Amino acid sequence: MIFLAFRYLFSKKKQTFFTILGIFFGTVAFVGISGLMLGFRGYIIDQLVNNDAHIHIESREEFLSQHSLDQSIKFPALHVFWIQPPSGRKDNALIENPQQWYYRLKSDKRVAAFSGQLTAGVVFSVGKSNVSSSLTGCDPYAQVKVSTISKHVIEGRFEDLATGGNRIAIGEQLQKRLGVHLYQNVLVSLADRPATPFKVVAIYKFGNNNADSQAYSSLADVQKVNNTLNKVNVIAVKLVDFSQASFIAKTWGHFGLEKVESWDEINGSIFNVFAIQDFIRFMSTGSIILVAGFGIFNVLNMTVMQKRKDVAILRSMGYTDGDILQLFFLQGLMVGLMGTMTGLLVGFLVCKYASTLPAVHGPIDSGAGGTMQISFANGIYIQAAILSMMSAIISSIQPARTAEKLTPIEIIRAGAE
Amino acid sequence: MAINLVNVGKVIGNPQTRILNNINLTIADGEFVSFVGRSGSGKSTLLYLLSSLDIASEGFVEIDGMKVSDLKPDDLYQFRNLKMGFIFQFHYLLAELTALENILMPARKTNQMKQKEGYALDLLNQFGLKGKEKRLPRQLSGGEQQRVAIARALIMKPKYIFADEPTGALDSVNAKIVIDIMTRVNQEQGTTVIMVTHDAGFAQLARKQIHLVDGKIV
Repeated sequence: MIFLAFRYLFSKKKQTFFTILGIFFGTVAFVGISGLMLGFRGYIIDQLVNNDAHIHIESREEFLSQHSLDQSIKFPALHVFWIQPPSGRKDNALIENPQQWYYRLKSDKRVAAFSGQLTAGVVFSVGKSNVSSSLTGCDPYAQVKVSTISKHVIEGRFEDLATGGNRIAIGEQLQKRLGVHLYQNVLVSLADRPATPFKVVAIYKFGNNNADSQAYSSLADVQKVNNTLNKVNVIAVKLVDFSQASFIAKTWGHFGLEKVESWDEINGSIFNVFAIQDFIRFMSTGSIILVAGFGIFNVLNMTVMQKRKDVAILRSMGYTDGDILQLFFLQGLMVGLMGTMTGLLVGFLVCKYASTLPAVHGPIDSGAGGTMQISFANGIYIQAAILSMMSAIISSIQPARTAEKLTPIEIIRAGAE
Repeated sequence: MAINLVNVGKVIGNPQTRILNNINLTIADGEFVSFVGRSGSGKSTLLYLLSSLDIASEGFVEIDGMKVSDLKPDDLYQFRNLKMGFIFQFHYLLAELTALENILMPARKTNQMKQKEGYALDLLNQFGLKGKEKRLPRQLSGGEQQRVAIARALIMKPKYIFADEPTGALDSVNAKIVIDIMTRVNQEQGTTVIMVTHDAGFAQLARKQIHLVDGKIV
């Protein structure tokens, strides 16, 4: 029946063209919007996964309550009444025993690299410019393994921090605000301690305002400034397989008092946004495809009415119910197939073109290499094809079944002409 | 004994209207039978019952010794394809297909296109349509369209031809051509032709005439 279905379709070129157009636009919209949204998402996830560690181990924040000190009271007491109940944070924000963690991480084959860090809130000063931000002390060689910072260095070398002697790598935003240049000195002061000069040996740019407003130095130098020798407050861990981060973090969470969080837990709110994005994406493109499906439904229903006499004569020639069903179902299927195939192709070309366009100016612009981040994942094209074809198939079933049920004698009696 | 009707009755619609009443009829192989009668006498309904396009409300129809009501749908469709040819008052050609493609439609059902193409061209030639095989129905005159429809009915060399007012929409010249073709098919190929007509002149060309009045054979 495919021969006759083709003839029916191409005998009404305009009608067929506009019906195909509906599915075509739906498919293009799905591929285009999904490409754009998932491309952006891919970029964000890439930033989250590659620019930073997969797991952060840091001291657990515990807040005091009225009964927090009950166990600590040395005298027998039935009732304790506080004039001012205990409150505030209990710990000192430092990891109690980092060496134990280092030993454990070294022996775990799932760990690619780790870096103990000490982050302190400091004030950077150059001349009259003062900027308060954070300074992270780290082992530069370990840090380049747990993050992509070395790739984002735009001036100098990050590894130069390793030689010690108060050297610093600063983010581009911080550099601009301080008006400092490579190999110039920046004064770093912490609380009431005297300011310490640090020489700028590297300037980096992640394309993220927050990250680019901070600075890095060697762990020993920051420990000295902070007056916390041999202490760290974060251990950043890079895994061999980042997708296992959540599972591994949960396991390690039982080992000590420290808080262990995976990259996806830390950025949980972003994933909620992604879920909402997905919902909007499917709703918006789905409605276009749904409308296109109604188009097919209407056109096929009309065709069935117009071709009743053909159904009668085909029946008299010995064509079966199944043949008649096929005749109309195939038309919907072909419209769907043509709309989907051309839609996928044009959608791909639109995405290709979009990927050459400059990104909207903003922090991600530079990080993304200056052009729009478009996803060309196979899944997008498979989903678009499934949605469009499902729409065409579902829309064709009812008209085809109506045609299947037509009996020749009723049509002939009705004098169909 | 080719077609046998036993106590056949037909009731249609709501409220019910009786169209045929207690019809007993036998049509032998190779006969040329015409049904005549006024409009509403039930002659077309009788033709559709004989041809299995319609189902009797009462009694039964036997074709080649098989009860039509007992046939499985697939067997019935195959039977229609191989042994029956239909000609209607209106040509009912498929508008999107050429004359040749229309004629070959029954053969397409059983994948006999190639085998039947020569015969289709021969039929077109016999019916004065040589060179018009690639024309669409709208590019043919009314008489030519009806001749293509007859060729389509004959392509499978059926045992039975059922014709419902085949000349009803034609002028006298074309009507005579159509009747001549059917007569020739009956005489030369031994095809059983059962025709409904209003035209008394054409009805008389049939060897057997059956008159219907108010759903009864008289």
